[in-house]
Amino acid sequence: MIGSIIIKIAFLGIIVSLVAYYLSFRNENQKFLTYARIGYHTSVVGLMVASAILMYLILTHQFQYTYVWSYSSLALPTGLLAASFWAGQEGSFLLWALFAGLVGVFLMSYSSNKGYEGQLMFVYSMVVGVLLLMLVVKDPFLRVWESFPGQVEAGFAPADGRGMNPLLQNYWMVIHPPVLFVGFAAMGATYAFAVAALLKKDYTHWVRPATPWFAFGVLSLGLGIMLGGYWAYETLGWGGYWAWDPVENSSLVPWLIGLAALHTMLAQRRSGAFVRTNLVLGIFTFVLVLYSTFLTRSGVLGATSVHSFVEPGWMAYILLLSFIIFFGGFGLLLLFVRMREMPSVPIEYNYISREFALFLGAASLIFIALFTIVGTSSPIITNLIKGQVSAVDISFYEQTTTPFGIAVAFLAGFAQILWWKSSKARNIIKNMLPGLIISAIATGIMVAFGLSTFMMILLTFAAWFVLVVNIQMAYKIGKNNPRFIGGAVAHIGVGLLFLGFITTAMYDRQQTIQLVENEPVEALGYTLTYTGYTPAGHERWAFNVTAEREGRQINLAPIMYQSDFNNSLIRNPDIVNRLTFDFYLAPLGLDTKEVEGIAESTHTLQRGREKTIEDYTVTFVGFDMDSDQHAMGSSSEMVIGVDLEVEHNGDVERVVPEVVNRAGEMDFRPAMTSDASLEFNVVSIRPDQEYPDRSSVTLDIRQGGTQLTDSGPAKTQDVLIVEASIQPFINLVWLGTIVTIIGLLITIVRRAREARPKNVEAWSAE
Amino acid sequence: MNAKAIVAGVIIVIFLIFCAWSFLESNVEYTDFQNAYETGRTVQVEGTWVEEKGEKYNAERNEFTFYMADKNDQIVRVVLEGPRPNNFEIATSVVARGQFVSEDEFRSTNVLTKCPSKYEGTAEEMMGASGKEYYE
Repeated sequence: MIGSIIIKIAFLGIIVSLVAYYLSFRNENQKFLTYARIGYHTSVVGLMVASAILMYLILTHQFQYTYVWSYSSLALPTGLLAASFWAGQEGSFLLWALFAGLVGVFLMSYSSNKGYEGQLMFVYSMVVGVLLLMLVVKDPFLRVWESFPGQVEAGFAPADGRGMNPLLQNYWMVIHPPVLFVGFAAMGATYAFAVAALLKKDYTHWVRPATPWFAFGVLSLGLGIMLGGYWAYETLGWGGYWAWDPVENSSLVPWLIGLAALHTMLAQRRSGAFVRTNLVLGIFTFVLVLYSTFLTRSGVLGATSVHSFVEPGWMAYILLLSFIIFFGGFGLLLLFVRMREMPSVPIEYNYISREFALFLGAASLIFIALFTIVGTSSPIITNLIKGQVSAVDISFYEQTTTPFGIAVAFLAGFAQILWWKSSKARNIIKNMLPGLIISAIATGIMVAFGLSTFMMILLTFAAWFVLVVNIQMAYKIGKNNPRFIGGAVAHIGVGLLFLGFITTAMYDRQQTIQLVENEPVEALGYTLTYTGYTPAGHERWAFNVTAEREGRQINLAPIMYQSDFNNSLIRNPDIVNRLTFDFYLAPLGLDTKEVEGIAESTHTLQRGREKTIEDYTVTFVGFDMDSDQHAMGSSSEMVIGVDLEVEHNGDVERVVPEVVNRAGEMDFRPAMTSDASLEFNVVSIRPDQEYPDRSSVTLDIRQGGTQLTDSGPAKTQDVLIVEASIQPFINLVWLGTIVTIIGLLITIVRRAREARPKNVEAWSAE
Repeated sequence: MNAKAIVAGVIIVIFLIFCAWSFLESNVEYTDFQNAYETGRTVQVEGTWVEEKGEKYNAERNEFTFYMADKNDQIVRVVLEGPRPNNFEIATSVVARGQFVSEDEFRSTNVLTKCPSKYEGTAEEMMGASGKEYYE
């Protein structure tokens, strides 16, 4: 089919590009450069056409294509229908390859005027090449009879598709994966820069043109990760934005490495040190992205994750593993070979220099990455060592990363105050003083509000410190040279993020609550009332809960429904967003409960039925209308006995209160048990002559003169079980993310400007 | 330089010990009920829900109780501190994380459910769902 052919053409294009770029820098021949560009552009056009075709097939419901049948359906709204493009493995690789290809177009024009194109695009073509190889092997354009040979007749088109996993059916599915794949593509570019530097034997100057790309990688991958976190929080009902899940962790690790590299590269630009460190980190950015893909797509983590990974077949497993070995091996081998000729610039061991602070900060980030990757890979590690699979507890991550998190936060403030090379102690203290004082006060306030553990107090102090110092710096820099403000702004965002992490982790309160229908319950400062469920479209149910606080009432409607797709219960939370906190309501289930009826002062007994009143069992046996017994009195008087059997502590006795009808006037004669403890009074009788068993009697029962009340008939009522939580200052997390991104954008613009050939004297001349 | 190397070496050793210690400390093994009972440790046990014995959610205590058979077909009552896990009814297998609190109760803090493959459809499914009009 045309799509498969185009993928193969794109693959051939990238091979041409790869070979021609190699020849171009090997022979220093411009002619090859032309071929290489043609090859590369062919490949990118191929990827664009293939993506357009797949999108078209999905939008027009061509279910004869296995991919379209597997991940979309007629029922999906247009946005989600389009998003089913990347709902499966083949499609996500196509999206990744497309973005990688497009990023490469920018990379090509960026590098061509810097004398870097040959080496850089040679390496980058390998990156795009392996993604295309993956697509050649796992073809998104297979038709159903090709996927199920012998089982499905050629030309068969299913009437409808299987649809999208309901967990993914959300607008975040439209946004999050593309952003993440832009980040993945950017990490391919950072790898290409490091390896190209090795090929070009330019170990010092490459960091200058590479810096904006590292910043771009950190920005896009970071945004992708945070969008994923927001998705988990807002829709999946995880109750938080971060769960140390393998999927989250595995994309966090390359991000941390890219971030560390961004900082040591700044140090290299200034001091010339960290040559090898930066090359290694650059290599690992992409290798770790591949490792992340391997962990989450190969099924190797199996049972240890919340995400139920499925075996995608040994093909993807082998391919991804070989990619990791190939890219890691190629980069590191080249580094090893070139190691001797690299300039060795010793780190200036001035402990109060900005270089040294940057080094420590980067080292802390790398340690966090190491712990995260060790923890995430623990099923593999323990399997290799002990032959037995085990996973680490979330406490592992919290325990190991917190000390380094404190170091990162503190250094992100401290480094900003320091000068390059060396600083005078007196100046440092003078500059730090406002930050230290404000942080100490703010931390003190937070301790007063219940912050307890030592580590958390340190972290809080460090978080305030990075925030205050960077606001101070942003003000100072902004006055003189606003273009250089990026770093300070990004670190203000980091400070906000850390504070958000602390408030949501340490001050959050949660409670599992049962909401009996129409019965208000007090929880976490709210009065919650479940008022029943209503249809919410697409066979979903909204469970309406009113939340009242300080006279203001808000309606919340978390969603639960049984999904046809995998026959499972899907639960979506609902959130009240406030400036200082979120009130988060995650539905857990709907139950029924027997509730006692309204208490009544009288007791209605049906004939033949037992009824327990206190520790007496009373049975209404029947009406006793033996008129002979009462014949002595006036003949106009009719006496009806209510025959009761009363059981108490195993003793059974008969008690017969009476109703006397004297010429239409009713008179009631009470009767007592033999021990005179209970007194029975008839209130009304309802004899049924046709069906005697339907007769009933209403009694007033007294014990020592006190009326005994009846609990009334039991009823069943719906009970909504919810987990409610308060997420204090969670807006700091989102605000911090936005501020960091703005800071990074300013940085990218600044560093890209600096990398322009006319702004550089030395590096392009070599 | 030597002093620096020693300091760096000590820091790295401390770091490695810290890493190994945390790793072992927080490691939760995959094992069976027999082993879990003998060691009394917090573990993860993979198995299947014994459907005949039912399941029950106690809303009052927010506990979900079910019976689970491990790979050796040992059946144990599992009490999960929380509501019925997602996809519990259709899970091909479940992984309970927790420990024995008494001879007949495995108290779990987390139950993961493994669902049948959602990524790969089968030919039967395709024909079953919509093959009809094709053959008409």
